Amino acid sequence: MKNKILTQLEKIKNRNRLGIMTHVVVGYPSLKQCRELILKMAEVGVDFIELQIPFSDPMADGPTIMKANKKALDNGVKVKDAFALMKDLSSKLEIPLIFMGYFNTIFNYGVKNFCKDANKAGCSALIFPDIPLEEEENENFIKFAKQNDLIPIRVLSPASTKERLQKNAQIAEGFVYFVGRKGTTGAKSGLDKKLDQNLKNLRKYFKIPIAVGFGISDKSHLKSLKNKADIAVIGSAVLDIYNNTSKGKALKAVEKFLKKL
Amino acid sequence: MKKIKNIFIKTQYDSDKQGHFNGLGGRYVPEMLIPALEELEKAYNQAKKDPQFSDDLMDLFNNYAGRPTPLYFAKNLTEKLKGAKIYIKNEGLNHTGAHKMNHSLGQALLAKRMGKKRLIAETGAGQHGLATATVAAKFGLKCTIFMGKVDYERQRPNVFWMEQLGAQVVPVLHGTQRLKDAVTATLQDWITNVDDSYYLLGSVLGPHPYPSMVRDFQTIVGLEVKNQLQEIYGIDKPDYIIACVGGGSNAIGIFNPFLDDAKIKLIGVEAGGKGIQKIGNHAARLQKNQKLGVVEGYKSYFIQDSDGQIQNTHSISAGLDYSGIGPQHGRLFQKDRVEYKYATDKEVIKAFKLLAKSEGIIPALESAHAVAYAIKLAPKLSKNKTVVINLSGRGDKDIFIVAEALKDKKWQDFLESKVKK
Ligand SMILES: Cc1ncc(COP(=O)(O)O)c(C=O)c1O
Repeated sequence: MKNKILTQLEKIKNRNRLGIMTHVVVGYPSLKQCRELILKMAEVGVDFIELQIPFSDPMADGPTIMKANKKALDNGVKVKDAFALMKDLSSKLEIPLIFMGYFNTIFNYGVKNFCKDANKAGCSALIFPDIPLEEEENENFIKFAKQNDLIPIRVLSPASTKERLQKNAQIAEGFVYFVGRKGTTGAKSGLDKKLDQNLKNLRKYFKIPIAVGFGISDKSHLKSLKNKADIAVIGSAVLDIYNNTSKGKALKAVEKFLKKL
Repeated sequence: MKKIKNIFIKTQYDSDKQGHFNGLGGRYVPEMLIPALEELEKAYNQAKKDPQFSDDLMDLFNNYAGRPTPLYFAKNLTEKLKGAKIYIKNEGLNHTGAHKMNHSLGQALLAKRMGKKRLIAETGAGQHGLATATVAAKFGLKCTIFMGKVDYERQRPNVFWMEQLGAQVVPVLHGTQRLKDAVTATLQDWITNVDDSYYLLGSVLGPHPYPSMVRDFQTIVGLEVKNQLQEIYGIDKPDYIIACVGGGSNAIGIFNPFLDDAKIKLIGVEAGGKGIQKIGNHAARLQKNQKLGVVEGYKSYFIQDSDGQIQNTHSISAGLDYSGIGPQHGRLFQKDRVEYKYATDKEVIKAFKLLAKSEGIIPALESAHAVAYAIKLAPKLSKNKTVVINLSGRGDKDIFIVAEALKDKKWQDFLESKVKK
């Protein structure tokens, strides 16, 4: 069977539109509400959803997602809860679900077993920013992911050198995740000024679709990405809306926000 | 003392080119940081080969920081314990009061060479932050220090001094609000400001090349001990060396020149806190159920739960209150080259009092861990044995904590009268 990521990418391409990827932290604000949030996102029509496995030290995340990680852990959420949620929803939803997180979670679980179980739970891809190519020889992360039909999404940044872009392009599959600006995750009012130029440069090395994340929070951002990138990642912005709306209305607010996009 | 010219030595326990200490260490960071680490590694390797860099550093060590620090024969303590001869390497007499000045000077010199405009650093006890703020002032660089909120409150004197030196001190509110969270916050700042900022890391941890680089700048301590023992005391080499281990910089600095001589026993002392039985009560990573992990850019032993979540630690000393340990220590532990012991808060306060009263030396609470273990060990050894303690810092910064631990009434009254005013 074809990986759902590839099917979804084709769909976006055929319809000639910008794909949307959203983000949740498993167990935030609670397991039940997180599940509702994912179902709502799928219903509104997003193309990919990242399920972040909460971690105590989320190095690449800004305040919104860091707090969500902490809250989820305080709620007692375990890695096995993330697998259970993945299993439950991957069978219900057509769109691909992705595990996002930090490498210690995988290392602790055992790289091989983690990939096997993630595949069994219906996960389509992995986004783990703190396991660079240089450590592949020791960890076999890419190898086991690919063996289990999980696409190990490469994450690149404006700081990446030509040499590193080339190296990553050689093994990248599915889409490449480009961090739109220097910094951690979090909604910002404007996009990085050099983004256009950076994306043009990236295209020289990558033949696969490009997702852009970090700091995307409104429609004007999406407009300016059209024809330059293939997927927009909206992470903290959705959580911010969810957090800033009174209980009971939060789901509706997220729905309204996403529909506008 | 014989002039020390070359501080860059090699041992069989060094890392490979990728910074792996037989699988530990490495560079597990997001892509954003890799180019910065590659740039740092390149600059560091060039500096190592440049005699001017070593000359400049030795000049700063000797004429700014006050090196060499004394190696002092602790006669009273030795007589009291009725065993091995005890020598104290007094790093507390460094400028700003701890060994942290050694790697701060080395790295500031490097940052300057790289054309960086701003230093950022994490700190636990505040000693590393203080040393960083100091070198930033000296080299005319901007400076931001990240400090877990818990440490920010318990090491207030250092916060005050850092601010007087012109640094911005940021209390870190996330996670456990301790040293590890300060490291994360500094990494995040670096991710955002990689172009003009230099992350001046405060121990032998983090991604490659930090564990090796910080060790190299601390090796001056061990090199001096070697010379001082021979020249002042006519002792060819020590039998035991004892040092406290937070991240492990002071320990590796004094151990490094002796690593290849297996006859010399090396002992690292971890923070036993309120006892090592329960997670959350201590910061002893190598005592029970040692668990490997990949956190903050490196692979080593971390205190974590069954899901790999990093757990809370406790120590009376902020500088040892850290859930990870430098990767080279992890390697030295695996190879049984260094023995890792622990001292509890109670033992530490006792050792603190004994050293103050018997030798007139007020140790930092971190360093008092090494003293506490020496107190246990020395009486069991014969009188012709030599024990060297690395006294990594002086205790001025701990005035509030010690006064509280000793329940000192006069100090309490003084504080109350100050508040009333
Ligand atoms: C005086 C002193 N000793 C020891 C340490 C622990 O660090 P390390 O294990 O890197 O020497 C600190 C850290 O703040 C310190 O201030």
